[in-house]
Amino acid sequence: MNALTVLDPQSPQARAIFHLAIVAGIIFAIVFAIVAGMIVYALMRCRWREGESDPKQVAGNKTVELVWTTIPFLIVVALFILSWKTMGAADPPPAPEPDIVITGHQWWWEARYPKSGVVTANEIHIPAGTPLSIRLESADVLHEFWVAELGRKMTTVPGHPNNIWIQSDHPATYLGVCSEFCGTEHAWMHFLVVAETPEQFQAWEQAQLAPAKIPTGQSAMQGLALFQQTSCMNCHAINGTAATAGVGPDLTHFASRKKLGAGIADNTPRNLRRWLTDPQEVKPGVKMPDYQFSKSQVTQLSDYIETLK
Amino acid sequence: MSTQQFLLSAWSWNPIALIVATVSLAAYLIAFGVTRRLGWFLAALLIFLLALLSPINALADGYLFSAHMLQHILLLLIVPALLLVSLPRSFSFNWPPRILTHPLAGWIAGVGAMWFWHYPSLCNAAVSSRPVYAVQTASLVILGTLFWSQVIAPREEERLSPPGAVLYLFSACVTCSALGIILTFSPITVCPIYSISAADPLAISNTIRSTWTMTPERDQQIGGLLMWVPMCFIYLGAIFAQIARWFGEPTSIQTAA
Amino acid sequence: MSELATVMERTGLLSPEEREHWKMAWLSTVDHKRIGILYMVTGLVFFVIGGIEALLIRLQLAVPNSTLLHPDTYNMVFTMHGTTMIFLVAMPVLFGLANYIVPLQIGARDMAFPRLNAYSFWLVPFGGILLHFSFLAGGAPAVGWFAYAPLSETPYSSQSGVDYWALSLLVLGIGSVGANINFIATVLCSRAPQMTLRRLPLFTWMIFVNAFLVILALPVLNAGLVMLLIDRLLNTHFFLMPGGSAIMWQHIFWAFGHPEVYIVAIPAFGLLSEIIPVFSRKPIFGYEFVAGSTVAIAFLSLGVWAHHMFTVGLGHTIDLFFIASSMLIAIPTGVKVLNWSATMIGGRIHFDTPMLFCIAALLQFLLAGLTGVSHAVAPLDWQTKNSYYLVAHFHFVFVGLIVFAILGALHYWIPKMSGRLLSERLGKWSFWLMVIGFNMTFITQHFLGLAGMARRIYTYADLPGWGWMNMVSTVGAFLMAAASLVFVWNLVVSLLFGEKAGSNPWNAWTLEWATTSPPPHENFRALPPITSRRPLWDIANPDRPDPVVGSRGAIDQFKPEKNKTSIVSFIISETGFFGILILAFLYYNAVPQSGPNARGLDLLKTGLFSICLFASSFTIWRAEASLRNNHQRKMIGWLTATIVLGGIFIIGQGLEYWHLFKSGITVSSNLFATTFFTLTGFHGLHVCVGLIALLILLGLALAGDSKKKPWPALDAVGLYWHFVDLVWVFVLSVVYILPRL
Repeated sequence: MNALTVLDPQSPQARAIFHLAIVAGIIFAIVFAIVAGMIVYALMRCRWREGESDPKQVAGNKTVELVWTTIPFLIVVALFILSWKTMGAADPPPAPEPDIVITGHQWWWEARYPKSGVVTANEIHIPAGTPLSIRLESADVLHEFWVAELGRKMTTVPGHPNNIWIQSDHPATYLGVCSEFCGTEHAWMHFLVVAETPEQFQAWEQAQLAPAKIPTGQSAMQGLALFQQTSCMNCHAINGTAATAGVGPDLTHFASRKKLGAGIADNTPRNLRRWLTDPQEVKPGVKMPDYQFSKSQVTQLSDYIETLK
Repeated sequence: MSTQQFLLSAWSWNPIALIVATVSLAAYLIAFGVTRRLGWFLAALLIFLLALLSPINALADGYLFSAHMLQHILLLLIVPALLLVSLPRSFSFNWPPRILTHPLAGWIAGVGAMWFWHYPSLCNAAVSSRPVYAVQTASLVILGTLFWSQVIAPREEERLSPPGAVLYLFSACVTCSALGIILTFSPITVCPIYSISAADPLAISNTIRSTWTMTPERDQQIGGLLMWVPMCFIYLGAIFAQIARWFGEPTSIQTAA
Repeated sequence: MSELATVMERTGLLSPEEREHWKMAWLSTVDHKRIGILYMVTGLVFFVIGGIEALLIRLQLAVPNSTLLHPDTYNMVFTMHGTTMIFLVAMPVLFGLANYIVPLQIGARDMAFPRLNAYSFWLVPFGGILLHFSFLAGGAPAVGWFAYAPLSETPYSSQSGVDYWALSLLVLGIGSVGANINFIATVLCSRAPQMTLRRLPLFTWMIFVNAFLVILALPVLNAGLVMLLIDRLLNTHFFLMPGGSAIMWQHIFWAFGHPEVYIVAIPAFGLLSEIIPVFSRKPIFGYEFVAGSTVAIAFLSLGVWAHHMFTVGLGHTIDLFFIASSMLIAIPTGVKVLNWSATMIGGRIHFDTPMLFCIAALLQFLLAGLTGVSHAVAPLDWQTKNSYYLVAHFHFVFVGLIVFAILGALHYWIPKMSGRLLSERLGKWSFWLMVIGFNMTFITQHFLGLAGMARRIYTYADLPGWGWMNMVSTVGAFLMAAASLVFVWNLVVSLLFGEKAGSNPWNAWTLEWATTSPPPHENFRALPPITSRRPLWDIANPDRPDPVVGSRGAIDQFKPEKNKTSIVSFIISETGFFGILILAFLYYNAVPQSGPNARGLDLLKTGLFSICLFASSFTIWRAEASLRNNHQRKMIGWLTATIVLGGIFIIGQGLEYWHLFKSGITVSSNLFATTFFTLTGFHGLHVCVGLIALLILLGLALAGDSKKKPWPALDAVGLYWHFVDLVWVFVLSVVYILPRL
């Protein structure tokens, strides 16, 4: 997986921003060098030495002022034009219908693909090389969708949907985060963007659309029964079962995901057991309460959930 | 019609505007002759005609609210300011009725003109009716002149003092910004005539909507922003000029004994 | 504790006669010098608190996957850190410095309103205690210093932390407005006769310009806070779905918040503009440009707030206009930096501690300014916003510029305040520790931001490079803490055993150095002649004095009546408050709300009561005229008429409210009701305040106080009353008339 960084753009949108950053960076560096050079020159050459009297009292110079007002003005005009051009490339107008609708929740991301009907959480799959239009919504407070390698960040605002484009040049996995403070677990509101070849993406979509398999193992079947009897159902949905709630992440293909708890841990059976035993221990403040499942219940539930590939 | 065709062909020959321009030029020449300030007067006339004859006017005539706003800014702020600068320095504005030379009157003229003409039904009327449009144009130039005469009247003694002028300009800027903010963020259409694209005499609607990607909402936003930001910059520019006036006056050089 | 009194007496902070009641002498003081010191000491106390919070933040972030603090604790700590440092450290310390120095620099005896000054000060500890009381009342706010809705609303922050936060900022906001009205009145009305406006020292000039910014910006925040509190306490929906707008809060907050950055930066600019010339032994390069660019910055800063919202989805159209306006601020700011640099070139620079801090501040601010421009370039902001790059940027402004400038100023002026020099050796220790620590902490954070670290996360995964960079940052923070300890130690030691400073230890040129250190209670025994911007230079160098700064008579010597000045300033500040409430009403009612709306109001009845209110403007004008013509009884008659008319209006409004309540309409019915009651309610409150003021005047007049000449109180209250009536003109048009057209 790529590390999260602004300086390694992997999409045309992020590259547009990066190129502007380089140009702007050079301008800033030159300005800094000139002005800091002036100051350092003064510090080196204009030191007071014991016994020297006060220097010539120069109160200003209008020509100089005019010059150093005009030059920054020209720089500002240039930067403005560059920004204008970059904005179009980095953030084109949205498609009429979004390819993915992403909803920020405290503290996880819901992703819906309206064209195919896929619903998933915290892991967004995209076909490499194709730009997808994303609509960003919020279920509660402000969140911010940010995948540094792929382009701009954008806030999710309740009642005010925003749109961005997402694209990756080649197959890779990227880390995304929430960058607007959104409460207790703001730090662990990560997600993954998995860019795949178009074939892999289609296969993934097909797999995601399939309803959850009915488990065959004894313990897993008990886990499903437990899931449907207890409060799990009040929040989670599993396609193919009676669970249809949309408060927490959709678990239909939970086991196919790489991370647990919006990035706080790898999705391993051991971590899943820890989570089911006490989610508050793994991710303090998470909206899922500690249900005080017994050890055997935890085993059953995790056996079941592990079948949700 | 493509953008280029439009820019070349959308010039109108508004006879009244041309007559007004010619007559006022003649009047200026008769009254003051050819002076160094004639250039300013010609600039004022040029911008006046630009606002009324150019494609800006064609767009403002039922297509784009933002073009209409640009026209307003030119007529209310730029043309009168140039006119005042073009007058000989001995010219006095101290005519009766005295109330017109009160700063409050000037302030209300300048700010009121903007608010008044953006009341939805008046804004519509100015687009749909030629006489109302003519009244609007004339009122903008006259009210603008009243507004600016407080700051850049030819005679120094008829101007506000620099700190007073700063306050005058700043409060005008804030008040216009408030209207700009309302226009920018208003969920309703302020000048509905621009959002219904019924008549399209110039066959430009398509270009505007598709090539310029201008929607009615965006159009109103740009209109509001023009009033909010660039218009404020004009006031700010004038404020800087006042600060320069404040600090710039020659300080008498004496050597204390 | 009497040792403290001994120390204070020793350092000239207490006169021998006050020894017995030294606590009262300080607690009840109205002397601007003491209030200035109280401001700074309060700021120092909160600096320690905010600093400990900063260290906790850095400790938590020192290593990846840290579990030192509970996430909620961490969130409280950074919220309190931000709020404390801005509102309880930067502002009080800068206002404290201004309080001490401005009257001295203009040759005044005290601030224009000493008791208002004391009141404004005491609101700071009160607000601070209110804020920190939240710790005892279920937990401090955990919403960040800008408390973005809807996180700050009851459904997502159900404990009372945010209420305390909002109340405390309201209290502090009122205090700041009070203090700055006082600065305006002091500079305008209490100047020494020869101290014309164009001869003002730059620090005073910038405090003066800044005061206007404060009275314009703070009321905007106050309006927002009031709306947030109404949302939270009365269950309404200004910023909450359905109907409300989270973005509205951001507009209001940043319409205050961006000027706020300059409210603390401009005084720091003033400090640099004072200290750099003195230690370069040259006048400031381009006084007019430094002074003028301050005005430019102040104005521009009011119109650029939307650059804090480039990622919230306002659209490219709006973004573009704000890119332009935001980048323009760089120009006057750049002019300042260049002028300071040019002041040093060709000078003979003395590297004393105050100058060292200022040089560092200048260089650090240069970097901060450039990264600031990168935030104005929206596409770059789309990447760097809300990352540690942004955190690094604003700490470069707040610490790199402002704290460094303050430390420079303290080393510069404490000898004036205590009469004793600080130790240069300790000063240099604290300087170098501070510079190294600061740059370690915050230069690193730029790179962390570019590596993708979002701000306000309580911990982070062990991503490449993050661990060691955070560790460097933490170590730097502890060096800064060490620097602060050295500074405090220096302060203590020097106050007790420091060398005597004499009246002008730095050979500086402004008036504060023309009196003893510490200055006597009345500030000056005699003022030197003032013909230029550097009166003491002219005295020390009779062979080459500064060119005389001419006076054009009336305007340069503009000295309005102080009561009127203060009430006009107050009215300016109130305009911002009502402006926001009126804009909010327009916004939320642009499309008529379902349920009760403006068409249901009784225009006829309200119209009648409004006529009474408008008539009362006429009666008070007659009262003023009668007073001028010395007709005491007529004046009392007109005053009574005014009170009666105002009373009728209030009763009318009360009846209207009663009628609405009876038909089941309350503030939480819908957004129309919310905005209606908020707007008319606050107007009504102002009418009531006006009535109380009028009743007091009436009482005074009956007691014969108005026979004194002049009696400015009536003019002042009259202006206020006209303003309240004028606001009602707008409220009436917007609420009652406009929706019917």
